[in-house]
Amino acid sequence: MSAAAGAAPASAPVAGGLLTVDELRRDFGGVWAVDGAGFTVKAGSITSLIGPNGAGKSTVVGIVGGAVKPTSGRVMFDGEDITHLAPHDRARRGLVRTYQLSSEFGKLTVLENLLVAAPRQRGESLLTLVVGKRYWREEEERHVVQARTLLERFGMSEKEDEYAGNLSGGQKRLVEIMRSLMADPKLLLLDEPMAGVNPTLARSIENDLVMLAREGLTLLIVEHELDVVERVSDSVVVMSLGKVIATGTMAELRARREVLDAYLGE
Amino acid sequence: MTASIFIPSVGFGLVTASILALAAVGFTLQFGVTNILNLAYGDLMTAAAYIGYVVNRHGGSIALSLLAGAAFGALSAFLLNRLVYTPFLRRGTKLFGMVIVTLSVGVIIQNTLLAIGGATFFTYNFSVGSAVHPLGFVFNTSQLMIIGLAVAAMIVVQLLLTQTRLGKAMRATAANPGLAQASGIATDRVVDIAWLLSGLLCGLAGVVLVLNTTAFQSTTGSGFLVIIIAAAMLGGVGRATGAMVGALVLGLVTEISAAYISPSYKEIFAFGVLVIVLLVRPTGIFTGAQREVAG
Amino acid sequence: MNATAYYLTTLLVYLGVDIMAVWALNLQYGIGGVYNFAFVLFQAFGAYIAAVLTLGSSSGNGGFQNYILGATLPFPLPIIAAGLASGLLAVVVGLVALRKLRTDYQAMVMLVISVIATLTVTNDTGLFNGPAGLSLIPQPLSNVVNPSSVGYQWFYVGITFVICAIVYVFVHRVTSSPLGRALRATRDNEAAAEALGKDVVRLRLFVFVFGNVIAGISGAVLVQFIGAWSPGSWMYVETLVFLTAIIVGGTGNNLGVMLGALLVPVGFNEATRYLPQIGRPGLIDALQWIVIGMLGLVFLWFWPQGIIPERRRRFAPTPPGTAPVSGSAGSGSGAPLADPTVLGEPR
Repeated sequence: MSAAAGAAPASAPVAGGLLTVDELRRDFGGVWAVDGAGFTVKAGSITSLIGPNGAGKSTVVGIVGGAVKPTSGRVMFDGEDITHLAPHDRARRGLVRTYQLSSEFGKLTVLENLLVAAPRQRGESLLTLVVGKRYWREEEERHVVQARTLLERFGMSEKEDEYAGNLSGGQKRLVEIMRSLMADPKLLLLDEPMAGVNPTLARSIENDLVMLAREGLTLLIVEHELDVVERVSDSVVVMSLGKVIATGTMAELRARREVLDAYLGE
Repeated sequence: MTASIFIPSVGFGLVTASILALAAVGFTLQFGVTNILNLAYGDLMTAAAYIGYVVNRHGGSIALSLLAGAAFGALSAFLLNRLVYTPFLRRGTKLFGMVIVTLSVGVIIQNTLLAIGGATFFTYNFSVGSAVHPLGFVFNTSQLMIIGLAVAAMIVVQLLLTQTRLGKAMRATAANPGLAQASGIATDRVVDIAWLLSGLLCGLAGVVLVLNTTAFQSTTGSGFLVIIIAAAMLGGVGRATGAMVGALVLGLVTEISAAYISPSYKEIFAFGVLVIVLLVRPTGIFTGAQREVAG
Repeated sequence: MNATAYYLTTLLVYLGVDIMAVWALNLQYGIGGVYNFAFVLFQAFGAYIAAVLTLGSSSGNGGFQNYILGATLPFPLPIIAAGLASGLLAVVVGLVALRKLRTDYQAMVMLVISVIATLTVTNDTGLFNGPAGLSLIPQPLSNVVNPSSVGYQWFYVGITFVICAIVYVFVHRVTSSPLGRALRATRDNEAAAEALGKDVVRLRLFVFVFGNVIAGISGAVLVQFIGAWSPGSWMYVETLVFLTAIIVGGTGNNLGVMLGALLVPVGFNEATRYLPQIGRPGLIDALQWIVIGMLGLVFLWFWPQGIIPERRRRFAPTPPGTAPVSGSAGSGSGAPLADPTVLGEPR
């Protein structure tokens, strides 16, 4: 069931939240990039992961996405232990991530970038070779309609036939977000979605994210700008030196000394 | 199956490993630092061997040939990077196209040598020296010289990488170019030095290779390239120490299997070892597979 | 007259074979982003399998050649078997080379594998008659059409182009489908494709095996025509000729690479065939390789997309009324995501 169903998808255990990471540790050649991090992301919420450079945020994102193997610890998603799943298997279960650096498919058009993300396509199966186009034409038409709806929603309809590699940095961000939405996510993991985006577009992306959460999607965002974090987040996880040092709402955190220290010490 | 051929075959293995180590360390260092898969490496070896040959035929000693080969290798690798590879990278050629660029350059070098030198075998004018029998091995003086040279070069490389600022910068760049740049290591200079060093080892290896095989032609180096790659992969590409160990393993495996089974299968055994290692540990013996770095 | 017809037909068969080869290699390199430097190995393997399946038992012809699997299968079974055999070999090689390796490592593994194969064949006379290769391979349907007639030559050209057409149907089904799109996405950004649920290893393995089936078929068509095949003609640099053809013609474009096949492998062989033998033996050959090397560099520098660049895929506009209710364009105010058609059907 898609995240759009509402704030509490039936399949998610109520106690643990949609995503739970537990006692994550990861060393790189003797340095503990992540040293016992744990937090929970509630279904339908926006949770922000913040912390100074080198706090271990990217490593946590890598571990949750599946690109980095944890040295120890556990990642639970939608009631299932996914610690050892490959990234594509996580995506198929509804955990979809974006990257800090632009990661568009440069030689695919904007529309194709979206279409490629549609899950479980018949047109990608080997039967395509045997049966030919009639095996997937209808499904494809449906996906095109879906993709165009998203393009319209994000104001990108005019760029439909543009190669994604030729877009501006901010437009690439939008493509990545739209693409992730096409993948039928329950949880979107966004690694600095506003990085390198002009302020106007950044503000508009911000509104889009809030809107998506209202519609039932769960978001975990890594973000530097504390103002943005304050505006969008239901819950904030603060990391420093590989550990989670605090969790709570931004207002609660502002009052806490060690959180400020972690930032001032940057 | 007798023990009496074991020690001599280990001896041959050490000679092969020495040549391989010189070549593989040069190859892997450069790849690690610059991320360019230089498939022209083998042909550069042949070119250095030709230069050494010309020096030798004009009355130069073997030492002078080695020197000339090394100098030529260093200079041409440096220029190749500055004049061809870097411009292509700057122009936006991806990793993908770069492999084709280097392969094309190799084909051009090899066939230029063929066009100039002709399709014949060349032999240096030198004596392999008398046989000596240390510890039950059988070596001629030329082979002892090869082993000595390789050991000396490996020690120098190792010291350079572990004891000098430059070497540490090289290893840091190989481990993580972005991070190295961010932490203020002048990567361009490191890259230049990597090409010079790689070319120097490549040139030495080229001359030494044909001293050992005695006769060579335009394809000798490119024929050797694949086993160089195998040694580098075995040790984990980018790791100098790994390449040394990889060279030792492949050198011994080829010569021992040649002695006990059949010389015609020796390379196949070497590649067999590589395939098995890749199945068990796809990135080589000495590396951890890591795609993202702590942040 | 006869000589011209003979020349022309030979040229056309080579062209057909090279076209199949560049389609296949383009699928791997241009669409899927797989560096198959062992491509020629799969072509050669198919050729050998087709040869031994038409030569009859190894003791035939006075037993002067040693090989495995001797049989006399009727056309087109040897060609089909060749495709399957190359595909099978590709599964084995692919499972070693494509499993979780970085693409530059894959290139290295492919190089290593093609050299192992050459060594195995040339060192073992029992498998495929060693360095001498195979000869006196019978031509298909020679009991129906006299194989030494010009008519047979044209007949074989026909066979070649029919097989080409069949191959194209399947190649096109891949390149024009969502499968091809997923492959191109993998080529452009492997990690992002994975993060969207694409099984990158499986996609690569598919295109590797599929392309190599075609490689095997193309090798079989060639060997059945020329009647002989030797290991010396399939060193790994031969793959560079096809790669150059793809770069020149237009990476990722089936029509473009066809043009590339006409210009590079076929064009070069023909252009140099009539040059007078100047200088020492091998000089012309060396110069030819130098020119091919330069050609690749020149195109990568000036026209990296080739003569006919990869086609931009456009989609027909959605007919009005099909689209779900959509509000005004712009961020955050459009169609509700809760609409099931937006995020896909419920699981």
